[in-house]
Amino acid sequence: MHPWVVTPGRGAQGQARVDRDRARWDNSFVDREIRITAEPIDGARCRFVVSEPLLDGVRRFATAEEAAGSPLAVALFGIAGVREVVVSGGTVTVTKEGPAPWAATGKQVGAAIRSTLASGVPPVAAAAPSAGSGGDEALYSRVADLFEAEINPAVARHGGFVELIDVQDAIVMLRMGGGCQGCGMADVTLRQGIETALRRRVPEIAGVVDITDHSAGTNPYVAASKK
Amino acid sequence: MGARARLLLLLPSTTYRAAAFVEAARRLDVDLTVASDRNSVFSGREPEGLATFDFADRGRAVAQAAAFAAEHPVAAVVGVDDDTAILAAAIAEALGRPHNPLAATLAARNKLEQRRALAAARVPVPAFRDHGLDEDPRAVARAAAYPCVLKPLCLSASRGVIRADTAEAFLAAHRTLTTILEAPEVAARGAESRRYLVEAFVPGPEFALEGLLEDGRLVVLALFDKPDPLDGPYFEETIYVTPTRLGEGARRSLADCAARAAAALGLVTGPVHVELRLNDAGPWLIELGARPIGGRCSQVLRFGEGAGAITLEELLLRQALGMRVPSFEREAAAAGVMMIPVPGAGVLRAVRGVDAARAVPGVEDVAITAHRGQRMVPLPSGSQYPGFIFARGASAAGVEGALRRAHACLRFDVAAPGD
Repeated sequence: MHPWVVTPGRGAQGQARVDRDRARWDNSFVDREIRITAEPIDGARCRFVVSEPLLDGVRRFATAEEAAGSPLAVALFGIAGVREVVVSGGTVTVTKEGPAPWAATGKQVGAAIRSTLASGVPPVAAAAPSAGSGGDEALYSRVADLFEAEINPAVARHGGFVELIDVQDAIVMLRMGGGCQGCGMADVTLRQGIETALRRRVPEIAGVVDITDHSAGTNPYVAASKK
Repeated sequence: MGARARLLLLLPSTTYRAAAFVEAARRLDVDLTVASDRNSVFSGREPEGLATFDFADRGRAVAQAAAFAAEHPVAAVVGVDDDTAILAAAIAEALGRPHNPLAATLAARNKLEQRRALAAARVPVPAFRDHGLDEDPRAVARAAAYPCVLKPLCLSASRGVIRADTAEAFLAAHRTLTTILEAPEVAARGAESRRYLVEAFVPGPEFALEGLLEDGRLVVLALFDKPDPLDGPYFEETIYVTPTRLGEGARRSLADCAARAAAALGLVTGPVHVELRLNDAGPWLIELGARPIGGRCSQVLRFGEGAGAITLEELLLRQALGMRVPSFEREAAAAGVMMIPVPGAGVLRAVRGVDAARAVPGVEDVAITAHRGQRMVPLPSGSQYPGFIFARGASAAGVEGALRRAHACLRFDVAAPGD
């Protein structure tokens, strides 16, 4: 686990951003109303932004068995079709099978989040070291080096930055910011640039998950238009 | 050529559709190259996956694509909008890949050429005349029949399209149109940017047909109602709902009109997006684009049912690559999208009520695509939507109602210019 690790080399700026995030979440405790915003990414994936923190860090659950000990993940895997859950701070990214509308599944996810938070127990347990976590540690280090040496200097040319959030089960979790956040070409940068570079340089990587809230971007490098 | 086919996807950097097409390509077992008009920061490092072509210079872009393809053979070339449809045809022609005739895509892109070709083929189009900004507008206004619509040749998505019911209104519309067309980014398009059509206003409800051409045969993928009247003076697109509530005869007449139009232009393959009107005289062809539906509207379209359903983008890529398309049949549920109207001119400071809008039964998503600080420009000048609302349900009427209720929840805080 790398709780709130920011990309090496971003130093104080990255830490300041983490501190701001923490302060915002701490403030949300004042208001106990739980607000959940569902943001479908596509037919298979939906991001749920929760007004209260769920986990100080990030965890990915690929099976119901992995969810044991984390009540929120257990509840989510109880919903038909759910096959992956990523919890990062106050964000839950759920992947389900099939392109069925998120309207129905989303309501079940929202109910699971609310009931888990209402129970008063930690919704997600910190990851216990597993047989594979040593591999993730090593992968994290290599990916972090690549982010520092190549990825971030490149995206900085368009005013962007990419934070490496964690590596779990060889899945890289990242968050985009600056000019990348909300950019109309962010997915192209992610899939054709960052992921391709990662897979070539660190072939053990099994995938890349973007946990960015792109709707919150305020200065995208390219804004979409009708022409 | 290697075991995996390579898809060359032409994506303008300002498209709304990048993620939809890229994710669709990832679901297929192909190598993907995204070519855009702006350099990606990774172009130098990932030259197989990212290319930069000069979209403004077709000949140069074709040469760039040919040089790329010499190193990395390309199985299919796909554009995503009016301009890249032309470029895709030109590149595919140069590479010997399946494509629409270049002349057909050019005719579809140019409103004047399109109307001439359609009128010659006796496809019903509004009466039209072609004029230049340099002509005396008072003379043009005197000669016009009213009500009429001024329509620039070089713009899309209702930009610059203005209805005039009198000569005075014509002159006012002409002044507005001149301002739009003389803006530097529009004027840079060359001589065509100084021309416009004056065409008869066709009364009646409007519909949008999403289709796919296969060897010249039109497959209707979806027919959308546009329940908000488009009577001018500006023609802001808002709600699209499918299936249409028209009867079988009317549906067939619209589809026949669209098929005749595509044939008249010489289009034979790939997507078409067709705007039609229907009144007592029958169907009227308003616009035909050799491209899929714009904005993020395709999000409401799914083909097939259950786990095997595919998106519009996947369907289009499969066709272009010669892969099997599992279903051309849209799902059974009704679906709709609202292109959120620009709430006013100014700088967007906040959008409120999104959670409430998302909570409206039937609403699947509310995507605010404008960012805080973005300048909002209404029609006829504007070119960006604040966002989109998506809904699905048992009936078209229910979906339309959900979209309207969700929109009513939204509050836009827009600082007026100068605030």
